[in-house]
Amino acid sequence: MQPDPLSVLISRMDFALISSVHILFPPLTIGLAIILFSFELAWFRTNDERWYRLCRFFEKLFIVNFGAGVATGVTMEMAFGILYGPFSQAAGPFFGQVLGYETITAFMYEAGFIGLMIFGWGKISRKMHLFATFNVALSSTLSAMWILVANSWMQTPTGIEFKDGMFHVTDWLAALFNPNVFAAFPHMLLAAVELSLCFVVAVCAWFVFKRREVQLFIRPLRYSLVALAVVAAGQIYLGDLLGENVLEHKPAALAAMEGQYDTYDANGNVNTAWNVIGWPNKEGTGLAWSIKIPHALSLIETKTWNGAVEGLNTFPEDERPPVVLPFYSFRIMVAIGGAILAVALWGGWLSYRRQLCASYAPLQRRFLMVCIAMVSLPYIAIIAGWWTREIGRQPWIVYGMMRVEDGMSNLSVGLASFWFAGFAIFECAVIAGTIWYLLKVCRNGPDLTSPVAGDGEETLGELDLPEGPHAKRPEYIRPV
Amino acid sequence: MTQLDDMQYFLANAWWLGLGVAMLLYIVLDGADLGAGIFGLVVGDHDERGAIMAAMAGTWDANETWLIVAGGILFGTFPFVYGSAFHYLMVPLAFVLWGVMSRAVAIEFRHLASEKWQRFTDWVFGLSSLTVTFFGGMSVGAVLQGFPLVHEAGKLPYYAGGAFNFVSAFSIWTGIAACVAVTLSGVLFVRARFEKTERIRQDAARWTAVIFWLAIGSVLVTLVWSAVLFDWARDAWFGRHFWAWGLFGLAALWCIEQVRRDTLRDRDLAAILWYNAAVLILGLGMLVTLHPWLVPGTWTIRDGASPQVSLITFTMTMGGFLPVMIMYNWYQIWVFRARISKLVAYEHH
Repeated sequence: MQPDPLSVLISRMDFALISSVHILFPPLTIGLAIILFSFELAWFRTNDERWYRLCRFFEKLFIVNFGAGVATGVTMEMAFGILYGPFSQAAGPFFGQVLGYETITAFMYEAGFIGLMIFGWGKISRKMHLFATFNVALSSTLSAMWILVANSWMQTPTGIEFKDGMFHVTDWLAALFNPNVFAAFPHMLLAAVELSLCFVVAVCAWFVFKRREVQLFIRPLRYSLVALAVVAAGQIYLGDLLGENVLEHKPAALAAMEGQYDTYDANGNVNTAWNVIGWPNKEGTGLAWSIKIPHALSLIETKTWNGAVEGLNTFPEDERPPVVLPFYSFRIMVAIGGAILAVALWGGWLSYRRQLCASYAPLQRRFLMVCIAMVSLPYIAIIAGWWTREIGRQPWIVYGMMRVEDGMSNLSVGLASFWFAGFAIFECAVIAGTIWYLLKVCRNGPDLTSPVAGDGEETLGELDLPEGPHAKRPEYIRPV
Repeated sequence: MTQLDDMQYFLANAWWLGLGVAMLLYIVLDGADLGAGIFGLVVGDHDERGAIMAAMAGTWDANETWLIVAGGILFGTFPFVYGSAFHYLMVPLAFVLWGVMSRAVAIEFRHLASEKWQRFTDWVFGLSSLTVTFFGGMSVGAVLQGFPLVHEAGKLPYYAGGAFNFVSAFSIWTGIAACVAVTLSGVLFVRARFEKTERIRQDAARWTAVIFWLAIGSVLVTLVWSAVLFDWARDAWFGRHFWAWGLFGLAALWCIEQVRRDTLRDRDLAAILWYNAAVLILGLGMLVTLHPWLVPGTWTIRDGASPQVSLITFTMTMGGFLPVMIMYNWYQIWVFRARISKLVAYEHH
């Protein structure tokens, strides 16, 4: 029984929505956890209270983001079974099991330590707390690894055979270490770090711009900019590596990303030109117009002057992915990657000229404004990257093996709409709430007055102690 | 589907037990958080409602994660059940998900909100706790009833029935019964987490006296109704081994009696532990009753299991990680064990 085309469309839009919203939050959780660990380590080693204050402040931002990530992530897991029932059944033996490992070896691991990290200040020793923060960073990275293993397998399925409507694993190692994952996981991890560095840079720049706590925020601003320059450069290299991987294993996706329709020109020469921008014609057989750079495509993809890159027209018509979305989302991602590197280098230059110290930095108004505005860019780049990846895989749910419509649950249009509308409302509320409270935490600024949490000591906070002869002093309150 | 060999069948059974344990841990641990949230709906004092959330702030995430773990085990080991059962339960699960999302956001954002919005988040938190519990309980009842599958050549059996087949008098009842049982867990939690002199603790103590008997009634009605409705339950409970089931029942009754005694003596932690013991005994009893069915009349463990489960992955995850997870879950609860007062700010717990 084939599902109704309209309900298929709605369900796909629904999945596009929930996955696009979810990807907004975990990257910051992953990257910021690593940054928090480095702040805390700095405090642990130097006893410099400023690192502690930064830690507590960025942790507040971390919590807001983390709650939203969990809320949208549970939705993702369940949505596989509900919207993509047949896919979940068929791919469960590999895909489901990898997600199962993720929940057990990473997600639960993270959830266990995150409570200690956030609420354990003063209740556990400094060393134990540092250990908890380390584990949060490690487990969220592990989480990303498992998810990327599962997703990369959908892009380049290896180690399995499709039989009787089910994927049978023939070689676990080949399936886990599928060709895509080695390029895709580092790319994603670095994206998370890059986004988080941009986030820290923007927050610090905002405080310096407002001339609030400049002494506190100038150091992480400078350090993060230098780190960002290294990471952004590395990311461009990894992105190129992933591109080569896509060329080798998913040529149709690469052709769509580059708007490459014909492998050869009309005169029989290899079509080497890279389309900077363009728009497909009505028939979908080529670009109606475009701006090209000769030989650039061959240089980028094959690293040769005249290397041939397979065009879309060599694939059967029903196996071609859409072009406009991957084409432009890819270009947006690449442009943003370059822009972030440029800003980071600008910051590095200012730092080298010693213009990013506490006394001069607030004068760099233009630079600080650029840093603040830049925070939106990595978010856009990550969504664009995922769109490039996932739309480029179309019309396959498991590349070359299972088509999307074969993996969809058979839902009525009404039911699919009910789901879509409900999640659209909830997800918008989560995004709005997250942005609102991130801004609010920033407006409130760091807490510089409450006592520093020491080894296993409780901070008193604004607690009113019970009075009167019968009131017992709670045993957990100890002097700091 | 492929026929499993003996080793695979053994592993499938072991994972089935793991799934059951994860589900029961979720009910025991997050049940208290859900119940405290429901109890919050009847708490009039603004600070007290906030303190309830503060009391669970350090552990709710780890507790809730057991649901995700159960989902992960189901997806990985019983993918055929996962794909069809979730399709069948689409509507109640949508409500559970919206509830889970709202709870997470409410608890994480409350301490940052202005007072007006705090009232809103309190209300959202209570209502979403109720939603998760009711529709979660309803899903369990609906699963016990089973659901029809379509078998097509060359394809895996899938669900193609209506979206509202899950609604029945029995499933509505299990939803209500879940709310009652979870509320009891919640008031026991509130009693244990607050200073004995606190008014909210005394309120919770008063509520316990009533909800305790309601919960016993709910469990009995559910058991009797199940025996009337389902052959598999009747056959097990009144079959050859009826005395073994009688022992299960007696053990559960004894635990429940301990809950009553301990609540009367204000031994709050002991009361929770006895309550959890009763839940685990009843839950394990239900699991054993169901064996070898995963979804009665629809999926057996043998048919629903993925043939790819290997001994290596099983020992790696279950043998290594589950005990570690339980250990640090316990450590975390230990760190946050102290009783608190309603004036404790969110951030300090």
